[in-house]
Amino acid sequence: MIDAREADAALNRRTARHPSGGIFWLVPAVLLLLPPLLNDYTQYIVNLALVYVLVGVGFNVVIGNLGQLAFANAAFFGLGAYATGILLHHYHAPLLLSIVAGAIVGSLAGALVSLPALRGIRSFYLAIITLAFGELMRWVYVNAEAWTLGSMGLHVPRPALFGWVLSTEKHKFYLFLGIVTLLVAATANLLRSRIGRGFMAIRDNELAAAAMGIPTARYMVLAFAWSGFVVGTGGALYAILVRQVSPDAFTLLELILHFGIVIVGGLTRIAGSILGAVALTMAPELLRDLPGYEELLIACLMILILLFLPGGLVTLFDRVTPLFRQRYHRV
Amino acid sequence: MFDTLNRPGSRLLSLTDVSVAFGGLAALSDVSLTVAAGEVVAVIGPNGAGKTTLFNAVTGLVPLARGRIDLGDQRIDGLYPHEISEKGVRRTFQNGGLFGHLTVIENVLAGLHSRIAANQLSIILGLPSARRAEREAVARARELLAMLGIERLADELASNISGGQQRMVEIVRAIATNPPLLLLDEPAVGLAPPVRQELGAIIRRLTKSQGLAVLLIEHAIELVMDVSDRIVVLNYGQKIADAAPAEVRSDKAVLEAYLGHA
Repeated sequence: MIDAREADAALNRRTARHPSGGIFWLVPAVLLLLPPLLNDYTQYIVNLALVYVLVGVGFNVVIGNLGQLAFANAAFFGLGAYATGILLHHYHAPLLLSIVAGAIVGSLAGALVSLPALRGIRSFYLAIITLAFGELMRWVYVNAEAWTLGSMGLHVPRPALFGWVLSTEKHKFYLFLGIVTLLVAATANLLRSRIGRGFMAIRDNELAAAAMGIPTARYMVLAFAWSGFVVGTGGALYAILVRQVSPDAFTLLELILHFGIVIVGGLTRIAGSILGAVALTMAPELLRDLPGYEELLIACLMILILLFLPGGLVTLFDRVTPLFRQRYHRV
Repeated sequence: MFDTLNRPGSRLLSLTDVSVAFGGLAALSDVSLTVAAGEVVAVIGPNGAGKTTLFNAVTGLVPLARGRIDLGDQRIDGLYPHEISEKGVRRTFQNGGLFGHLTVIENVLAGLHSRIAANQLSIILGLPSARRAEREAVARARELLAMLGIERLADELASNISGGQQRMVEIVRAIATNPPLLLLDEPAVGLAPPVRQELGAIIRRLTKSQGLAVLLIEHAIELVMDVSDRIVVLNYGQKIADAAPAEVRSDKAVLEAYLGHA
């Protein structure tokens, strides 16, 4: 006999790891109705939140699911932004091609950063090496002046998609929403497959994972490369949104924001990273009317969330979703 | 997939003069042993005798200093652990090898990893073929849990169930691919006597019905006597006996090394 509470907890976990198909596609569908309600500035903030959804979802794969303390996320973000920015600024390359280039460069950086992990470097040591990688990349941005224009940064020309100029923030929104939806769906598919289980198995017990036939080295490279791909795409969209790529956008402070998104949202949970991205992009804007108290309030909010919702914002959601749960609790 | 290795009585696993060293310390010295298909061989010996090192050598977790290990007619030493697992050598761990943040059924699914035929692209795109492969694996995992009567634990987190239940789940996960050889590292530790008997019954059932061969490290001597066809005794990394249970029980060297002086 399983009592009701136990059963409920079990369902809770099941849906937690298997985002329910129907509801997933509902979210972007509803978001499509958003632009008429927004002005150009609020639309810009929403677009920025979409960029950070990719940043959080990608970072989560490595620190949440693969369980590696790798802090090169701001580097993946910056490299993606620079790859796209350079192609658009210097070569006037097509927009989609430039975005794909950002994703690929991010993904290669991810694969590169997985190498120390493959050599058995873990936890604090991996953290330091990856932080160093991030700072090294900042040095590259400043000094590869021929491409990056150094510390003054790159200006990204007004983006155009097949000759159609994305002149307003609303235009960018539809492009961003499409790309973010596809990448989040792909990441969800990956994480609930045998591969995603492999990532988590490596996190929980690497030797046992290998003994169960999971190719641990290959999966580590894959997790980092996918993380870099998603975050690099985030960087590409950032370059298109802000239209300015400069080294001071990819500092340690930026990395702390990425980390905050994942932790405040809920480690290991895709929905968590989405909520975290939205919360941490919106909060400064909502608090803008309280100059001087902004940082203080955000810091207090983060502390309160982690005190009362240790599993992150996403656990708030878990309390509401039982309504939908019944239909999806079997794979 | 493993049919050629499953023929009863044929030689399944053989270690030939296997040595393993940690720094200058010899953990195993020139150990040779064989396991036939369907046979239960216990490995006993005092703490530090090299039993777990032997398992780690067979499953590719530690490199050999000398010697060779063959499975059927294939040499397996020097392969990656996941490759050895693929070839049909599966194991449990002394201190519990479950993935604690995964549910019980996800642990079994992780054990079925290589049997879920879906490539990376079809997974990322969420193609029907990938979903079908996943559904089939879930059904197979439920079947396996039901076989040992623990299907009701399917959706529990592995770290939340009792120690005894964790051992059962670890065994289910290890045999999920129908391997010809299972290595059990002290499966009875912390189990109450009735559960130990149940474990013995399960080991016998698996060897009888599926032709599984078992290499068993165990201190619970009544379980060892109960299930083993043969007992190998290690002491200070060397094999000092290899015989039927009754003979080992009266072997002088074994009594001295393992049970102390009479």
